[in-house]
Amino acid sequence: MEVRIEDLVKRFDDVIAVNKVNATFESGKLIALLGPSGCGKSTMLNMLSGIMPVTEGKIYFDDRDVTMLSPDKREVGLVFQNYALYPHMSVLENICFPLKIKRVPKAERIEKAKEYARMVHIDDYLDRLPKELSGGQQQRVAIARALVKQPKLLLLDEPLSNLDAKLRVEMREEIRRIQRESGVTTVFVTHDQEEATSISDYIMLMKLGVKQQFAKTRNLYNDPANLFVADFIGNPTINQLHGIYEKGNFRPDAYENAIPIGRYQIEDGSRVVFASRPESVIVEKKNGKTVMEVEETYVSGKDTLCVLKAGDGRLRAYVDNDSAPQEKDLVSVSFRDRGVFVFNEESGERYYE
Amino acid sequence: MKNRTDRVKSFMQYLTLFIGAAIMFLPFFWMINSSFKTEKELLSFQSFFPKQLLIDNFRQAWEMGDFPRYFGNSVFVTVVCVALTMFVTILAAYGFSKLKFPGRDLIFTVLVSMMMIPYEMLMLTNYETIRHMHLFGKIWSLIVPFTSSIFYTYILRNFFLSVPDSLYQSARIDGASDWQYLWEIMVPMAKPSLVTIALLDAITCWNSFMWTMLMSSGNRNIRTLPFGLTAFTSEAGVHYNLWMAGATIVVIPMIVLFLFCRKSIITGVSRGGLKG
Ligand SMILES: Nc1ncnc2c1ncn2[C@@H]1O[C@H](COP(=O)(O)OP(=O)(O)OP(=O)(O)O)[C@@H](O)[C@H]1O
Ligand SMILES: [Mg+2]
Repeated sequence: MEVRIEDLVKRFDDVIAVNKVNATFESGKLIALLGPSGCGKSTMLNMLSGIMPVTEGKIYFDDRDVTMLSPDKREVGLVFQNYALYPHMSVLENICFPLKIKRVPKAERIEKAKEYARMVHIDDYLDRLPKELSGGQQQRVAIARALVKQPKLLLLDEPLSNLDAKLRVEMREEIRRIQRESGVTTVFVTHDQEEATSISDYIMLMKLGVKQQFAKTRNLYNDPANLFVADFIGNPTINQLHGIYEKGNFRPDAYENAIPIGRYQIEDGSRVVFASRPESVIVEKKNGKTVMEVEETYVSGKDTLCVLKAGDGRLRAYVDNDSAPQEKDLVSVSFRDRGVFVFNEESGERYYE
Repeated sequence: MKNRTDRVKSFMQYLTLFIGAAIMFLPFFWMINSSFKTEKELLSFQSFFPKQLLIDNFRQAWEMGDFPRYFGNSVFVTVVCVALTMFVTILAAYGFSKLKFPGRDLIFTVLVSMMMIPYEMLMLTNYETIRHMHLFGKIWSLIVPFTSSIFYTYILRNFFLSVPDSLYQSARIDGASDWQYLWEIMVPMAKPSLVTIALLDAITCWNSFMWTMLMSSGNRNIRTLPFGLTAFTSEAGVHYNLWMAGATIVVIPMIVLFLFCRKSIITGVSRGGLKG
């Protein structure tokens, strides 16, 4: 099912939690709703599920306007940030509940509930009460309960935040697999950019209720719409140097040498932020170009992450282990064309060549 | 290892509890014990325990005092009263805790403050109301005034307020209507509180005396046990052993009921579903 939101606004007394968001979630895709805490992710999800009324704007499921439709008629599954399991029901009863409401015959619903319990690896605890489960186990029950009714739209509000690192990776692959198999359109809320990039087809990045960028996951990294996106996506974070644009060159505040960056639609003398991904920084033996000192090096896998220093400026660069410089070495730095962006310093807007 | 002072302390605690329990229990024991004795035994104070367990007292009292009818009335009034009270209480508590309507909390405050009005005063107005409903002297007159309770509503509302709204949202998304949410989620969760309320209400109904006396003055066929017992004591003459047997008949059902609900009541009280 395709989900379309138009000029969606949610206002609480004094805060605007979601501000004029437009988007279309393609049918069968997994969309990650990403952003720092308090940016309106849960609010957005609650409006999609129908448990929170919309202040302004419209929500469409396929071509049907569901803006005013009550949650029990929307056929969505929702996994809450705090699970919201029914405390007086066993795990099995919890998973059965949506089917019971649908009046599925008892034997059939138990069968189905068990099937989903197996899928989320909770089938050993069917008779336990929620309070007898760990946070991660409760989360998995909540996921099974959301899936068992085979919803048309699955909404997950940070469903993995309470799991340990290993289970978290396992469960997110599991969610990915379940999502692929069932083909259910899924919106997955997270504030962890790595989680978002590893699992989703599309990412919608938000900040203070405003949509920053909504794009294919890869494009968000390779083609950020503004400085906030560039900064939020990517680990280690993108390098940022502040300075002035002048005739195809970038003059950093931190040190002397200008960096040739090509022609942008920028007035000479404007203040800009020059951002570069660590893998787009080329480190060479000392030559005529910008010279920097290697401050620290970290080996991670087949690459070494070097922290380079010139004046007050710092750059992180990935270098092949074989050609990695030593600490205190002096090296020359240049940049690839890819993974290098120029932003307006004040607004964070991106400049294009 | 416990040291000496600890042991003495715990002994003193148990002793106090034991004395308290004994004081509570003694009248009951006295009543039941006496109800098995012959009249001579009872008055002569020769032996503490009856020589043989005399069932005959119960039979005599049961037959002499029209107890079968009183018993039937009591059961009917109590069961219907409790059922209606529970239904009304659940709906009212839900409305006053989870539904949103203007003046909700104000109305509830007014209702709660009405708990201050003494029962004796309500009796007059209730009497008038019952007369106007043409229920005077009918068994429904013993039920109608007691089908709602602000106090129970207050207790249950407090419990309902403690249930997080995310459960409501979750149930709604799972496809449940408001009505289904109330009966499938809220009510089962409140079970310990509900059992406690039901039992309190059952005891109140079962023991209700003043009102029954007032209503049954025109029709002895609607007497319930407590008033029936009083009538019996005057009608049967001074036979303490029969009185005690009659009193035992009145008390036993509530004791049995309590034993059945004991576990739920203890959880209900201990988790704060019911305070005071
Ligand atoms: N019921 C409410 N009343 C008033 N303000 C609210 C309410 N719910 C959320 N907000 C505000 O709306 C904003 C967005 O909240 P929301 O819960 O959507 O954030 P979030 O992105 O889910 O954050 P987190 O990652 O911490 O869960 C916050 O500033 C929050 O304080
Ligand atoms: Mg949230």
